[in-house]
Amino acid sequence: MDREKLTAYLQEKFGDKIEALTCGPVEPFFLVKNKEEILQFCKDIRDDLELQIDYLCAITAVDTTEKFEIIYSVASVAKKIRFDYKVILDHDNPEIDSVIDAWAGADWYEREIWELYGVKIKNHPSLGQFLLPDDWNQGHPMRRDWDAPDFIRMPEF
Amino acid sequence: MGLIKKVPAFVEKFPGGGIVTTSLDKIFGYSQASSLWYLLFGTACCAIELMAAGASRYDFDRLGMIFRASPRQSDLIIAAGTITKKMAPRLRLLYDQMAQPRYVIAMGGCTVNGGPFYYDSYAVEKGIDHIVPVDVYIPGCPPRPESLYEGCLKLQEKVKKQKIGDWA
Repeated sequence: MDREKLTAYLQEKFGDKIEALTCGPVEPFFLVKNKEEILQFCKDIRDDLELQIDYLCAITAVDTTEKFEIIYSVASVAKKIRFDYKVILDHDNPEIDSVIDAWAGADWYEREIWELYGVKIKNHPSLGQFLLPDDWNQGHPMRRDWDAPDFIRMPEF
Repeated sequence: MGLIKKVPAFVEKFPGGGIVTTSLDKIFGYSQASSLWYLLFGTACCAIELMAAGASRYDFDRLGMIFRASPRQSDLIIAAGTITKKMAPRLRLLYDQMAQPRYVIAMGGCTVNGGPFYYDSYAVEKGIDHIVPVDVYIPGCPPRPESLYEGCLKLQEKVKKQKIGDWA
C-alpha cells in the first residue's frame, strides 16, 4: 500500500477522527483529534485486516512550550506499511491513556515519556523510577522550562 | 602498604642506604611502568579507539599494557567515553576496587569536561575529575590511538618518577 492509498484508506475508515498532516516526503503523518480515543484507534489499526499494524516502532514526545505532542510510529511487518500519528495534550496537567493493551512493547516508551516529560500515562502498571539516576529529584529534564543548578544552556551565538 | 612506606626511613639510616632506596625506586618504577594493565571500561565511541589501540595494528601489548576484566587485577583505568551521572557512582566503585598504585586516564572530550555534552545536557557528568583523580587527560573526540599512546607514554614517565611510598 503506497502513501496515497494508505492516506485515503485511513481517512475513509476513520473519517473526521483523524486528519492527514503534511510532514516531508517520507512517511504519512496523521493527527488523532480526540486524545481519549487513542487506545481505541491503536486497537482498530492493529485489528484491521488491510493494515495489520503489528509493530510499534516508537513512542516519543515533543514539548512545544504551549502543548505536548505524543507521536506514535507504527509499522506492519506483514503488509509492509509504516506511518506515524500524534495526539496533542495540554501543557498543564498532560494525561494520556496507555496503549499497552494494544502493543505490550509500549511499556518502556511510556515510562520514558513519563519520566523525561512528566506526561502522566493513565492505566500504566508501573510508572516510576526508570532511566534517570536512582537519587534523581529534579523533575522532568526534557521539558523546555526545566532547569537545574549544574545545567548549562547553550549560549546564543 | 604501611610497611613499604617505612622502608626508606628504615634503610636510609645505614651507610649506603640511600643508594638502595633510589635503586629500589628505579626497579619499582620500571616494573610498574612496563606493565600498566588497564581495566576493560569503555562507555562510548572512545572505546572503539581503545579497542583499535589494543588490537594488532597499534598493539598496546608492546607497552606492556594488557586489558584485564577485573578491577582487582588492573593498575590503570582508561575512562573511554561519556560518563553519565548515572554511571558516575559505578566508575567510583570500580576505582575504589582497584589496588594501589592506581592511575586514571581521562580519554576524550566527554571525560575531560563534558565535551559535546557540556551544554544542554541533564545527564552527563562534566568531567570525571569530579569523581576520581585523573593523571592524564587526552582531548579529542575521539582521540586517535596515537594520542592514546602519547597519553600512556606520559603516564609511564610519571610512574617512573615516583618514589616508594608515594602511592602507599
